[in-house]
Amino acid sequence: MILGLETSCDETAAALVTADGEVRANVVASQAELHARYGGVVPEVASRRHLELVAPVVERALADAGAGLADVDAVAVTRGPGLIGALLVGLSAAKTLAWSRRLPLVPVDHLHGHVASLFLEPGSVEPPFLCLLATGGHTLLLDVQDRAGYRVVGTTLDDAAGEAFDKGARLLGLGYPGGAAIDRLARAGDPEAFSLPVARVPGFDFSFSGLKTALVYAVRALEAGELERRRADLAASYQRAIVRALVGRTRAAAEALGAQKVAVVGGVASNSELRESLADAELAPLALCTDNAAMIASAARFATAIPFPDYLALDAYASAA
Amino acid sequence: MTILAFDTATDVATVAVVRDGEVLAERRSRAIRILHEIESALAEAGVERGAVERLAVGTGPGSYTGLRMGLITARTLAFALGVPAAGVSTLDALAAGSPGATPVIDARRGEIFTLQDGQPSVLAPEDLPVVPGSLYVGDGAVRYRGVLEDRGGTVPGEESEAHVPWARHHAALAADFGSAERLEPLYLRVPDAEVAVQEGRLRI
Repeated sequence: MILGLETSCDETAAALVTADGEVRANVVASQAELHARYGGVVPEVASRRHLELVAPVVERALADAGAGLADVDAVAVTRGPGLIGALLVGLSAAKTLAWSRRLPLVPVDHLHGHVASLFLEPGSVEPPFLCLLATGGHTLLLDVQDRAGYRVVGTTLDDAAGEAFDKGARLLGLGYPGGAAIDRLARAGDPEAFSLPVARVPGFDFSFSGLKTALVYAVRALEAGELERRRADLAASYQRAIVRALVGRTRAAAEALGAQKVAVVGGVASNSELRESLADAELAPLALCTDNAAMIASAARFATAIPFPDYLALDAYASAA
Repeated sequence: MTILAFDTATDVATVAVVRDGEVLAERRSRAIRILHEIESALAEAGVERGAVERLAVGTGPGSYTGLRMGLITARTLAFALGVPAAGVSTLDALAAGSPGATPVIDARRGEIFTLQDGQPSVLAPEDLPVVPGSLYVGDGAVRYRGVLEDRGGTVPGEESEAHVPWARHHAALAADFGSAERLEPLYLRVPDAEVAVQEGRLRI
């Protein structure tokens, strides 16, 4: 079995996955409530919490799988991209666990991890496919030809889609994290009530910063006290604009690349309107959309393992090279 | 009793393997390489990882990221090897290396960590009550040498071993071994965002 660890942002996660991609345990300790009082993820707060949570989360994953360290064949861990201080907590723990039993260590690219959430059983998705990866930190279109990697086809030029949801929720007074709150409220609103434009940028890239500004102006234009009454309409219109941009670019890229299959992964893949709009796509299971360690262990099945003891001085990286 | 001790709270990370008070191996490096140095020190000492009976880890204060790397390594080692651990303040270890000296660690942002009445504290270097003729050690003493020497303090040369929190001292000072989970880092400052919330500066 592969023991996976993930601490790149505000989830502390450990999982056990078999070589065949069967999930034996998948434990995620979310810090969302902790960061709500700051209106977003605070790196130092996240790192401090990871230190407290890693060992309990690993022990819980082993217990859930009815396994011990002796059953672990390799340790997989997110090496980057992410918050450097947060990554180093998980990486240090993973290196130490692997060292203690002379196991190989598999450093995993976080984005490859999200893609590999599609390679878990049951229902593993066979490449090639075009993959929309949308999270709080990234929005990418990836050409996935095999399970070992991907080629970036498009990316966001400013905010990530999940970030746009969070900022929009903050403007509407819905708190943090904002994606689920907007999704919920949007169901009661009219998505055509407000015209919120999404910038059209060349190629297959995305831009969401203008949309956020458009929402600021739409809120400002309201009469005093009107926000309460129009909040659902604003949420619905804002969500519609983000989903339209994501779906439009994904469809265009799929057509241009001749992709027969489209997949969606990452936290934003749990958005109900996006799932309905791309109903014909392969959608990551809801439990595997937000950051988790099962996807990291899954990616490790197709990544290069570093044999003991060559990983003892391995460092993390904050951003993709 | 074989103790594996290490400290990653400052720019110079240290490791020592100590058996019944005898230092079998001791190394210095950087926090990111701590596991590599642990492996090398154990090999040099001729100690199998399974023969380690106790862990002693530096709890800071120092660099938050470095500190966490040491503590997570200690907690994970304690879990994987099934051994008890004890925490030792990096300031106490520094002081143990230079009896009579005041330990001073660079706290960044123009501040230092030091012991005041035996308690770890954070303050501006200018606010440290310097006793003329007394000795100041640690990377903070090196960084603020001018401030300390202007008021009569003595700071050993930059290359002096007195500025390094050698892990042999952690092994010697370690007491109250137990679950590694209860070892808490000495941050001594709350995160900036928390300060902002408390002062009402952060609007959500």
